[in-house]
Amino acid sequence: MSAATRRKLRDNLEAYAYLAPAGIILIIFWLLPVIVSLAMSFGNITALQPLEEFRFVGLRQYIEAFQNPAFVQTLWNTTNYVIYSVPATLVLALSAALLLNRQMAGRGLFRTVYFLPYITTWVAIAIVFRYLFHREYGLGNWFLGVLSVDLLGFENPIRLEWLSEPRGIWEMIFFEPVFDRSVPPMPLGLDNVVAGPSLSLFSIIMTSVWRDTGYFMIIFLAGLQNIDRTLYEAASIDGANPVQQFKSITFPLLSPISFFLLIISMIGAFKVFVPQFMMTPGGGPDGSTRPLVMYLYEEGFTGEWKLSYAASIAYILTMIILGLTLLQNRLFGRKIEYGN
Amino acid sequence: MLQSLFDSVLSVITAGNPVLRLIVLVMLVLNALAVWQVWRGSMGVAGSVSPASRFRTNVASRFLVYEVLVIGAVVMLLPFYWMVVTAFKDGETAAAFPPYWTPTKIQTKAPHPETGELIRVVPQAIQLVEGEEIPVAPEQDVRFRRVERGGVWQTLELPDPDSIFMANPENFVTNPIMSLDARNFLRAWYRPEQTSRGEVNFLTYFLVSAGTSVAATTGTLFTSALAAFAFARLVFWGKTVLFYLILATMMVPGQVLLIPNFLVLSTLGMLDTYPALVVPWLASVFTIFLMRQFFMTIPEDLWDAARIDGSGRFRYLWQIVVPLSKPVFITAGIFDFLNNWNSLLWPLIVTSSPTKRTLMVGLQNLNDEAGTEFHILMAASCFAILPIVIVFFFLQRFFIEGIARTGLK
Repeated sequence: MSAATRRKLRDNLEAYAYLAPAGIILIIFWLLPVIVSLAMSFGNITALQPLEEFRFVGLRQYIEAFQNPAFVQTLWNTTNYVIYSVPATLVLALSAALLLNRQMAGRGLFRTVYFLPYITTWVAIAIVFRYLFHREYGLGNWFLGVLSVDLLGFENPIRLEWLSEPRGIWEMIFFEPVFDRSVPPMPLGLDNVVAGPSLSLFSIIMTSVWRDTGYFMIIFLAGLQNIDRTLYEAASIDGANPVQQFKSITFPLLSPISFFLLIISMIGAFKVFVPQFMMTPGGGPDGSTRPLVMYLYEEGFTGEWKLSYAASIAYILTMIILGLTLLQNRLFGRKIEYGN
Repeated sequence: MLQSLFDSVLSVITAGNPVLRLIVLVMLVLNALAVWQVWRGSMGVAGSVSPASRFRTNVASRFLVYEVLVIGAVVMLLPFYWMVVTAFKDGETAAAFPPYWTPTKIQTKAPHPETGELIRVVPQAIQLVEGEEIPVAPEQDVRFRRVERGGVWQTLELPDPDSIFMANPENFVTNPIMSLDARNFLRAWYRPEQTSRGEVNFLTYFLVSAGTSVAATTGTLFTSALAAFAFARLVFWGKTVLFYLILATMMVPGQVLLIPNFLVLSTLGMLDTYPALVVPWLASVFTIFLMRQFFMTIPEDLWDAARIDGSGRFRYLWQIVVPLSKPVFITAGIFDFLNNWNSLLWPLIVTSSPTKRTLMVGLQNLNDEAGTEFHILMAASCFAILPIVIVFFFLQRFFIEGIARTGLK
C-alpha cells in the first residue's frame, strides 16, 4: 500500500468518524424506519400480537383504507384543510408584506405583532381558540351578536355552532335543498367537495391562518427586499403606476418564492395534526375535522393498535408529499430573472 | 302603503346601537374618500400631479395602510389579551355572555347578622377527603396551601377567615368587581395529578419538557456540526451519494417513522422513559443541511492558517469554525428547541406515566379534563406561551433572520 493510499484511507476514516454520531441516529431512527414501515404496510401487524406472527398480505391494507369511508373522509378533510388554509395564508401574508415593505413608523412593531402567533405553541393556541369559538360564551358569537343586532339591527343575534357544526360552509351559505342528505351521496365523497369544509373545520382553518400568516409574511418581506430598488425607480420614471409596477416587477420576481412557499406549506398542511386533535378531540362533528395523521394515530396507537394499517396510511401520506415535492422540483426548473 | 314603507325604513335606521352605527358609518365614508383619492392619485403620471394632490394622496394612502395594519394587529393580539384576561377571571365571569373585557370576578356579599355590614361570603369548611371536613379556623390566613392526607396530596384553598359567617342565601348580593386574583395560576399549576406515588404538577411537566428539549437540542447541534463539517470540508468516498440520501430523507414525513420507531423503542424496553423522548431526535437532517451551507461560506484560507499553526481538523472545527458560525448555531438551536418543545404526537405515543409527561402532553391532558373551565385552561396556556414569548423578545433578530434565510434557500 502506497503512502498516498494510506493517507486517503485515513482521511476517509476520519470523515466517517465525523459522520458517525449523526449517521447512527439517522440510520436507526430515520432510514431503517422508512424501509421497515413500507414492509409493515404490506403485513398485518398489530401491537397486541407478537412480531413473529407477521404475514405478508400484499396491498390489502391499502385497499382496505380506500374502501373505508372513514379514511376517505379524513382524506377529504385534510385536502379541504390544505386548499383553504394555504392560499388564504399566503395571500394575507403577501398583502401584509406589501403593506410593510416601506419606510414607515411602527414597521418593526407591526412585524413583531404579526409574527407573534407563529412562535407560540399550537397546543396552547388551540385551547385559546376553543374558548373563542365556544358556542355559548365564545368571542366569535359575541362578535356576530354585535354585528347582527347592534350594527345591522336584526331582532335576534346570529349564532353559530362553530366547532360543533358538521355542515359545510357552502352548504350553510347557499340554500340547503341542493345538499339534501337523503339523496344517495355522490361517488368518491364529492359531496364533501361541493359542501366545502364543515364550519368546524373552517374554524380550525381560520385559526391556522391566524397563526401562520406572520411566518410567511417574514419570508415575503425578505423576498421583497431582495428586489433591486432601481427597477422601481426606472419604472416610475417610465410613468408606471403602483399597480403596473406590482404586475410587472414585484409579482414576476416574487413568483418563484411564492411557488416554493405554496408547495412547502401544502406539504406542511397535509401533515396537520395538533389543531384538530386539540380543538375537536373526537374528530369533530360527524368526523368532519379529523385529518389523516389523527386517523393514523387513532388507528395505530389506540383501540386495536393496527400498526400495519397505520403504516399504510403513513405511506399514502408519503406518496402525496412525494408528489408535491416532485412538482416543486419540476416548477423550479424555470425561474424568472431580470437584468444581466 | 307609503306609511309602512316609511316605517320599515325608519326601523332599519333606528335599529341597533346608534353610536356604533355612527362610528362605522363615519369610518366607511372616510375609507371611501381615501380609496377614491388614492385611486385618482395613482392613475396620474408622476410629475404631472399638483403637489397638493400628491400630499392628499399620500395622506390617504397612509391612512388606509395604517387602518388595515391596526385591524390586523388587533386580530393578532386579541387572543393573547383574552387568554391573559381570562386567566384572572373566576369560573362565572369566564363563562359570562356578553363577556367581561377586563379581569373581573363575581363577589358575593351578605349583611353580617350582627353589624349588618356587607361582608364577603365564603364556605365555612372545606371538604377534603370524602366524609372528612376541615373546618377553617380563624387563624388560618394562608389562602392557598398543599396538604397531604392519607398519602394523597390535595390543594386547599382556604377562605378569608374574616368573612366566614352564617348568612341567609336569600340576602346574598352579587356584583362583579375588577380583580387581579392570580390564584387561577396556582389552581392550574397544581391541578394535574395527585397520585399516591408522587406529586405531578406543571413543575414536573416543565422539567420534563425543558430537560428533554435541551438535551435533544444540544445533541443535535453537536452531531450536526460534525456531520456538516464533513460534508462541507472533508473529502471521502460516497460523499455525494450520502448527501443526496440525507436530502432525500427530508422529504419523508415524520409520521412514517412513528410506527417503526415505536416498535424499536418497545423492543429495547425504552417505552415510557426519558431517553425515548430524546434519543430519536439527536440528529436532524435539516440542521446538518443548514450548517453545511454556512460552513461552505467560511474561507478555506482559515484552515490553511490553522494547519500551519499546527492545529488538527477537530480543533479547527471547534475553535475556529464553530465560533464563526454563531448565528447559524443560534438559529438551528432555536428551531430544534421549538420542534422538541412543541411536539405532541411523539411524547403522546411513547410515554404514558404522568411523571414523564411533557408540557404539551400535560396541557392536552388538562384540556381533556378541565373541559369548559376556561379560566383554568387559559392560565395553563399562559404557562406554555409566555416563556416562549419572553425568549422571543430577546432573540427576535435570530428568529426572523433565521426564517428569512431558511425560507429563501
